[in-house]
Amino acid sequence: MKTEPQIATGRAATEIALSVSEVTFTYHGGAQPALRGLSFAQEHGEMIGIMGASGAGKSTLAKCLNRLVPEFEGGDFRGIVTIGKTRLDDVRVCEVAAQVGMVFQDFESQLFCTNVALEVAFAMEQVGMDRAEMKARLGPALEAVGLTGFDHRDPTSLSGGEKQRLAIASVLALRPSIIVLDEPTTDLDPEGKAEVFALIAKLREQGLSLIVIEHESEELLCADRVIVLGEGAVVADGAPASVMTNFELLEQCGVHPPGLNSVLHLLGIDRHAATLDDAFEAIVHAYPRLANLNAVSGSTAAAQAPVEGRSAPQALAEVQNLSFNYPDGPRVLDRIDLRIERGEFLAVVGQNGSGKTTLAKHIVGLLKPAEGRVILDGRDRAALRAAETAREAAYVFQNPDHQISAATVWDEVAFGPRNFGLGDAEIERRCHEVLDAVGLLDARESDPFLLSKGERQRVAVASVLALRPRLLILDEPTTGLDYREQRRMMALVQELNRTRIAIVMITHTPWLVAEYARRVVLMRKGRKLFDGGVREFFAADDLLAHSSFRPPEITSLARRLGTLALTPAELAAWIREHA
Amino acid sequence: MAIYLYLERDSFVHRLHPTVKVIALFVMFWSVYWVDNPLALLPIGIFMLWVAEATGSWRNFYRYRWYFLILIFTTTIVWMFFYRQGPPLINLPIIHISRVSLMFGFGRGIKLAELLAASVLFLSTTRVEEFTVGLAKLGVSYRVGFAISLAFRLVPLFIDSAMTIIDAQKLRGYDFEQGRLFERIKRYVTVVIPVFMAALRRANNMAMALEARGFGLRNNPTTFVEYPVVLADVIAGAALFGIATGYFLIYYTGYGAIPLK
Repeated sequence: MKTEPQIATGRAATEIALSVSEVTFTYHGGAQPALRGLSFAQEHGEMIGIMGASGAGKSTLAKCLNRLVPEFEGGDFRGIVTIGKTRLDDVRVCEVAAQVGMVFQDFESQLFCTNVALEVAFAMEQVGMDRAEMKARLGPALEAVGLTGFDHRDPTSLSGGEKQRLAIASVLALRPSIIVLDEPTTDLDPEGKAEVFALIAKLREQGLSLIVIEHESEELLCADRVIVLGEGAVVADGAPASVMTNFELLEQCGVHPPGLNSVLHLLGIDRHAATLDDAFEAIVHAYPRLANLNAVSGSTAAAQAPVEGRSAPQALAEVQNLSFNYPDGPRVLDRIDLRIERGEFLAVVGQNGSGKTTLAKHIVGLLKPAEGRVILDGRDRAALRAAETAREAAYVFQNPDHQISAATVWDEVAFGPRNFGLGDAEIERRCHEVLDAVGLLDARESDPFLLSKGERQRVAVASVLALRPRLLILDEPTTGLDYREQRRMMALVQELNRTRIAIVMITHTPWLVAEYARRVVLMRKGRKLFDGGVREFFAADDLLAHSSFRPPEITSLARRLGTLALTPAELAAWIREHA
Repeated sequence: MAIYLYLERDSFVHRLHPTVKVIALFVMFWSVYWVDNPLALLPIGIFMLWVAEATGSWRNFYRYRWYFLILIFTTTIVWMFFYRQGPPLINLPIIHISRVSLMFGFGRGIKLAELLAASVLFLSTTRVEEFTVGLAKLGVSYRVGFAISLAFRLVPLFIDSAMTIIDAQKLRGYDFEQGRLFERIKRYVTVVIPVFMAALRRANNMAMALEARGFGLRNNPTTFVEYPVVLADVIAGAALFGIATGYFLIYYTGYGAIPLK
């Protein structure tokens, strides 16, 4: 029988792996402390999930654990951090590397080498390990993360999930006693995310002490403990069952409550559901009549789903038989047909590299098709001038920092209208209107680079809205935002959609698709696999299984109960009606 | 699209010791530096083309084909404005077209193209890790060597970032092609700020990740790959010494200069 590679050091479970005592930290020039008297301890083999809104101190805390704070990011540090029995006073970051492994959110910035084996060996080289020992550790580290046989692959050629698993392998090779993962799946597609969390579960089984910082609460239901931070302090510390059912607290701290618990909460069932089975049993226990209903099969659910009409005589945008490949590269888009109607809300989903962004770039004219064409409002886009395209279709980049270049928010928003030669009065009117719409009128004189990520994202949206497009394409508009910021951004997008602006949202987040979109396009390897209503999409079991796009747990629970609901409120209402 | 130039091959150049490869890069630069005459630059150019063939690096040369052509063409033209030697072939205002100025300008163009070709060959056959090792063996401190090789890794990423930023500005109606040359250059200033911010952010993240993986703990880290010095390295070293000496002699004897008559 094949045995799992052992990478944990295997100590008694009651030993303390990490202790943080009365840690307070203020960044240089910071008006307020980022951490305030923070204390907690972690036992060996324990998995702790850390949650909280942006700015709550999660990443600062993670950096304290390997001395990046205060060694790298300077400031006023007070308190004690102890790893095992060693106090981390006056030690350099590199001296802690062998005890505390750190995996960062941005997987691109933590890979430096030209092949996988060298990447894993990098940290071992730095600590001066001899070659024979490095070679002995390489295999188990790669096997642990499921990258056996990838030794000679260029890390830049790996998928997002593989890159993040490689980053984990590179810290595992040093056999640290603790691994800290700072939002390791933020930039990953659902498949990559699932890969990383499956690996985290495996490391946990092997007895490694883990600290996982995460926005999505559902991913932390399996943790031993969850700590919620608010304004740099611990506001809750306990088992997921107690923390994840405290809805008032989660709401206050900007944490997305788990969908399953939300349904139970709405039904007045005071229980924690760690799994779908737990939630189902709790509901059936409270409403026995529901036990007799049958689970909805894919075909029945599809039949329940209302089919949306798409019979307008002229689409706002139409992609006809579009194919594309980069020079000397494989085909990125393969015979894509797509109609986008006025005022519709379309979600484009699919794995990283499936062609979503390339498709969007064709619609706005950043790329020229190898075959096929794009029609905007009845006219071939190839024949349109930049100004005409911009008035029809606008594109908000995933990273707002790729758009922002002006010194003030106002100038940033005025940038587009000025380029199109509009008069001062008109520019003033438009800037005022869009900044009001995105809630940044008061920040008009602020430097956009000093705003939060959520605010910068809204500046980016405002700066293209000022051109008054009829189609707005948003590429991953909620990446890196906390739950509160995500809700705020989506409320804005929904409001724009109400004014008949067609929305195309490229996203990896299932609950955003379920709650906001009215139509879904699923892409895979440059081809369109699905184009239809959201309910129809979440009912297509085979398709979802092949696409690795997981439906929200709430949808799976609804299917099991015999319906097709997309939100906790919708499911709770259905249960009350049928119980 | 591949971000880096390194090509995974098993040519004799790929197998050379990293120090020999760094020396080879230096020798190419050295040889090209001493001579101006296109005829004198021809042998080293042919040598580089032979290495490109032997190492299977044509793909990278094809990728940069326009840069090579632009370098040769524009340099030849530009020098006709400033290098005013020899009897003119045609009498024109401002521009001086003579056999000597044509040869000089063309020679300068070839020189720049050969410097680029040497860099492309080096990066096609040398991993950045080998670059660090090569520099360390030549006495450069590990940290400095790593920083230099890191720059090679970062430049393509910054270019990628700059292209995305240019796209974002174009979509808001910003015309980079408007106006005369200097106006166009000025218009690219709008790209500088976001590129700079993105570069700073990435460099900061990278530095944190490096320290968290133990970078800086030792001045002489061990290496995962063994780099033994073999007979081929000695032969290559001797050949490079021969090339470097040969080109210095071409310069010293005056054959590397452009004849004014």
